[in-house]
Amino acid sequence: MATLTINNAGKKYGSVEVLNDISMELNDGELVVLLGSSGCGKSTLLNMIAGLESISSGDIRIDGEIVNDIHPKNRDIAMVFQSYALYPNMTVAKNISFGLEMRGVEKEKRDELVNSVAKMLQIDHLLNRKPAQLSGGQRQRVAMGRALVRRPKIFLFDEPLSNLDAKLRVEMRHEIKKLHTSLKATMVYVTHDQIEAMTLADRIAILKGGVVQQFATPAEIYSRPANMFVAGFVGSPSMNFLPVTVAQQGNEIGVHLAVQYQGKSENQFVPMRNNDKLSQLLGREVILGIRPEMITQLENAEKDLATLHCDVEVVEPTGADTLCIIKLAGKDSIARVSPIHACAPGESMGFALDISRACLFDPVTEELIS
Amino acid sequence: MANRDRLPGTDGKGRYIGRFLIYLTLAVFAIWYLAPLYVVVSTSFKDLAEIRGGALLSLPHEFNVSAWHKAWSQACIGVECTGLKPYFINSISMSVPAVLISTFLGSITGYALTKYRFRGANIIFSLMLFGCFIPFQVVILPMAQTLGMLGIANTVNGLILVHVVYGLGFTTLFFRNYYVSIPDDLVKAATIDGAGFFRIYWRIMLPLSPPIIVVTIIWQFTQIWNDFLFGASFTTGGAQPLTVALNNLINTTTGVKHYNIDMAAALIAAAPTLFVYIVAGRYFVRGLTAGSVKG
Ligand SMILES: Nc1ncnc2c1ncn2[C@@H]1O[C@H](COP(=O)(O)OP(=O)(O)OP(=O)(O)O)[C@@H](O)[C@H]1O
Ligand SMILES: [Mg+2]
Repeated sequence: MATLTINNAGKKYGSVEVLNDISMELNDGELVVLLGSSGCGKSTLLNMIAGLESISSGDIRIDGEIVNDIHPKNRDIAMVFQSYALYPNMTVAKNISFGLEMRGVEKEKRDELVNSVAKMLQIDHLLNRKPAQLSGGQRQRVAMGRALVRRPKIFLFDEPLSNLDAKLRVEMRHEIKKLHTSLKATMVYVTHDQIEAMTLADRIAILKGGVVQQFATPAEIYSRPANMFVAGFVGSPSMNFLPVTVAQQGNEIGVHLAVQYQGKSENQFVPMRNNDKLSQLLGREVILGIRPEMITQLENAEKDLATLHCDVEVVEPTGADTLCIIKLAGKDSIARVSPIHACAPGESMGFALDISRACLFDPVTEELIS
Repeated sequence: MANRDRLPGTDGKGRYIGRFLIYLTLAVFAIWYLAPLYVVVSTSFKDLAEIRGGALLSLPHEFNVSAWHKAWSQACIGVECTGLKPYFINSISMSVPAVLISTFLGSITGYALTKYRFRGANIIFSLMLFGCFIPFQVVILPMAQTLGMLGIANTVNGLILVHVVYGLGFTTLFFRNYYVSIPDDLVKAATIDGAGFFRIYWRIMLPLSPPIIVVTIIWQFTQIWNDFLFGASFTTGGAQPLTVALNNLINTTTGVKHYNIDMAAALIAAAPTLFVYIVAGRYFVRGLTAGSVKG
């Protein structure tokens, strides 16, 4: 049970700046996911929290106490590694109890703790095996057990599921979520899988090039992404970005959208609400960010949505939904429709645009405008 | 029809002729290389009269171990007629500590160089590697001065120091290259678990090291046991290792040359390295090819 505070933390390797001015605050019992693509510095930040990497600037506090110069073993944290890092020469039981042994816990007490953790993770029948004799999922559980047994203040996970196959990954994801709910421990979880991040996190910190792009709840990140990088990174299939111009028609303000209909390009006006901010942007070029599920079939759609008709180039059934690729503002865009309403490729159909949930981005800075 | 299209030489007569030629060649080379060993072994069991009778390649008429006995405990080396025994003991009491110490130090330095990338680690490693390529002859003079200053010139302990220092480059290289393949995460995990430098070494690194320990021990033992130059340079008389004594034994001629004693002495000198290879040889290859640690 602890809070974790990171103040303007930075990391340099020689002259290479890997992390820049990272600040975030974790409440007691919160699960925060660090999300970002490969090489953005997620592991580096986690290692800095753990004390395995030095902190070049700023500070990190656990429960308000600065831990910059505190040895990893005294920070009362536990870490689960992507490679699991199980000690190959020790049995599962020894692996789990090693940390306790190093802390001078007595043998009887150790055995008791190991057994209870093993039961919880359903690995009690494997205690006498060596890591090499375990499957990937079992190794993963042992690695979790090693972290859990000490009941540390903070848990750190470095892509713990990325070596598992898809099905097992989903299962373990649920278990980690359950574990977090039952332990109510503070956790930092690193991943590059946005679905993992969305499903697990209380809050997500999105990193790019060593800078935090946004630190917010999954819902907010999804609906109000701070910039185009975040918007494109979260959500699958990813958001459509359409270059449009803000215009006025009658007393309505909206955007002009070029659509491809029956082979011809047509300019269609799509009115937008919350006009106050928009009126300042009149005549400016902006990027309209609209998620696939905001473009659906006309049938059964709510009445007050904007509508447009256009040609469907490609149809991709995914099971629950069918993705239609259409040309909007000269860009291939994805619409998500229900399979029964999807037309054949090459034909045209009507779409409803839920433009009120769309985002507008500045084309130069790529930041969210409204 | 398809059968006809097999690789050339895999069917019919051609196949047998090919095989025959291969085995013939192999046999010729095997005999070529084994012949000297055969001559040495068989001569060591002959008596002088038989040797003088010629017939280098014939088997001994009767199995005669007196030459072995003499080589071990009676042959004259210089003016002392003690046989090889005291020198054999010298070599053992030099090689065993030197091998163990250099192996142990090599594994510690290898561990420190790979898992604790301190500032300048690469430079230190390059310098150690450089040490492997310094010829023996170059270090003799400075080493003699060092031994003199330390007061251990002309002693077995002096030779131990020489071999430990000279071997450290090699043992470090072996262990470093092996430890590079052990994931850093293991050390990180153990650090978080609360283990320090030496605890991680004893509890995690060392238990993973047997393959490379075997390789290093074989390598070091062969080097140190067979060393002649350091032994001849830094010791005289009673402190000499076996290789130097063997040389002196063979050069000490009083009239007739006792080929049988010379051969037996050579075999005695070679026996320990052979023994180590036979006992640990299969781990040698395994250790050299051992890759990353699974799990
Ligand atoms: N010792 C080092 N010296 C110099 N640069 C380093 C060092 N270690 C890491 N880096 C750089 O720091 C950046 C961040 O590395 P990090 O391992 O934190 O990435 P990551 O976000 O965890 O990526 P992944 O998802 O692939 O694990 C990378 O660009 C990497 O090249
Ligand atoms: Mg990483």
